Amino acid sequence: MSSGQLTQARPPVAPTPTTATRTDKGRPKSGMRRARTFYLFVAPWVIGFVALTVFPLAYAFWLSLTDSDGLSPRTHFVGLENYVEIFKDPLTLSSLGRTGVFALVTVPLSIIAGLLLAVIVNLPIRARGLFRALIYLPAVVPPVGAALAFRLIFDRDAGAANGVLSGLGADPITWLVDPNVRYVLYALVLWGCGGAMIISLAGLQDIPRELTEAAQVDGANAWQSFIRITVPLLSPVILFQVITGVIGSLQSFAPLLLSSGSLSGAGAVPEGNYLFMIHVFAQYFSASRFGYASAMLWLLFAVILLVTLLIMKVSARTVFYTVEPEGKR
Amino acid sequence: MSRSYRYAVYIILAAVVLVLLSPIVWLAITSLKSPAEMASFPPTWVPAEPRPDNYVEAVRSVDFLGATRNSLTIAAISTILTTLSSAWVGFGFARLNAPGKKQLFGVLLATMMLPSIVTLVPMYLLFAKVHMVNTFWPWVLWGLAGSPFLIFLFRQFFAGLPREMEEAAVIDGCGYVGIFWRIFLPQSWPVIAASVILSFTAAWGDFVGPALLLSQDSTTLAVAMASGYVNAQGLPLNNLIAAGAVMYVLPVLVLFMFMQRRFVSGFSTAGLK
Repeated sequence: MSSGQLTQARPPVAPTPTTATRTDKGRPKSGMRRARTFYLFVAPWVIGFVALTVFPLAYAFWLSLTDSDGLSPRTHFVGLENYVEIFKDPLTLSSLGRTGVFALVTVPLSIIAGLLLAVIVNLPIRARGLFRALIYLPAVVPPVGAALAFRLIFDRDAGAANGVLSGLGADPITWLVDPNVRYVLYALVLWGCGGAMIISLAGLQDIPRELTEAAQVDGANAWQSFIRITVPLLSPVILFQVITGVIGSLQSFAPLLLSSGSLSGAGAVPEGNYLFMIHVFAQYFSASRFGYASAMLWLLFAVILLVTLLIMKVSARTVFYTVEPEGKR
Repeated sequence: MSRSYRYAVYIILAAVVLVLLSPIVWLAITSLKSPAEMASFPPTWVPAEPRPDNYVEAVRSVDFLGATRNSLTIAAISTILTTLSSAWVGFGFARLNAPGKKQLFGVLLATMMLPSIVTLVPMYLLFAKVHMVNTFWPWVLWGLAGSPFLIFLFRQFFAGLPREMEEAAVIDGCGYVGIFWRIFLPQSWPVIAASVILSFTAAWGDFVGPALLLSQDSTTLAVAMASGYVNAQGLPLNNLIAAGAVMYVLPVLVLFMFMQRRFVSGFSTAGLK
């Protein structure tokens, strides 16, 4: 990812063959044969998509209309009862709200931290490749390893966090219980902001240097050219991160690993970290309420869809594309 | 950049790296502590007598080797099948044409936004019905289906290769399967490298999948690690957890450090960077 790649042309996005080639002339069947070949190539994904995505989704929808517990053969059709219950279950609503707060805090913080770091490691400094790799490193640590490491840092007695506090003469804090545990969760998510950095860095390297240089010739200082030029040009990349970030945090199960670490022990998650997915798992596996849990998943799906559409709509006026985005991207 | 400005940048970066690496360093320090040191407050920064025995105990007190074997098997199945299948499908989208292709590609892009967890739980019931729970078959099926993101990555790369590459082969009478195997796939090693790293780390790190689909004695390291190390009273043995976690995390970190250049080049050659 050297700056020399700025000038390198991107490969054309869709130079797919549109018409039969010279060699196909005089062979009328070749168009159809080619279509058959296309289907042969995409078949693994299409079959997988139908069997492993569409079918389970349809099955989940049917389940959500029943009182299934996943075990007993006799399940009853209960109509929309499960969906009605969602709005009567205080734990469902509170965990959904808590998940919303979690997304609102962690997504912007991660993106901003990632963007600032990307700007810094994009400067022409020595060993910037090493800095990039080291900052990205936490993002490749497997979630279980990351959660365990944070459990050990924020341990009441043996943790480094309280060690530092006591060194400064402050009283130790019980981090892993309410209400502090949510801050440990935020810190855990923020620890992986190297992922956001890499994406922003890729975006930064696509910005023609002439643009920021021209602004500086016109008398803009670094901050002004960052806010007026870099950020608007990066807005599609930021939008991408907002959407994937929100989707990711709405289905987060990290708190499960931060506290008890087993699915059956889902009830042991402190209230401050009792996110929506934890409640779904508790309903599925501790309470065996498969019908109700499926309805909850559909609620989550609807929320994700709604939020994504909302973000796209709101951002339509603020996101700045240098070229028209292709297709659905 | 002025010199003082440059120094300020280095100081900021050094501070950031120090903070970001501290959890890993703390993991390593804790993994060498004695039980007595685990109970004392304030914590000791350097273990008085480092105990490498923690690692031996960590391997012995859970079925560490068995879980490692399961993790490696699942990771190998996922990595090989996902990479091959994604390249295969990506080639189709990049180089061939047929009615409905645009719509299919739209669906593919849309599935990248579909929360995986929404399908995982109903899938558990379906796999249970066909007796695939507690086997590695789900990972074979997932692998064969490819990953939408990797398909997209391969598609971008294959679409960028010159037309002449396949034309010559067509004249020589080579079919598209042959073109894929002999010409296009060997060209795509940067994307293969990125795909191998991504699918390996994803499979090695996955917690929910194995936790749902595998029983305690056929589970992966990720699950064994999260729930295994407790004493008779059910309290966590933190020094053993740390030793286990070091052994669990280290392969991924080493793989990343060795491969990160290739990893990045895989993205940039696919026109994604």
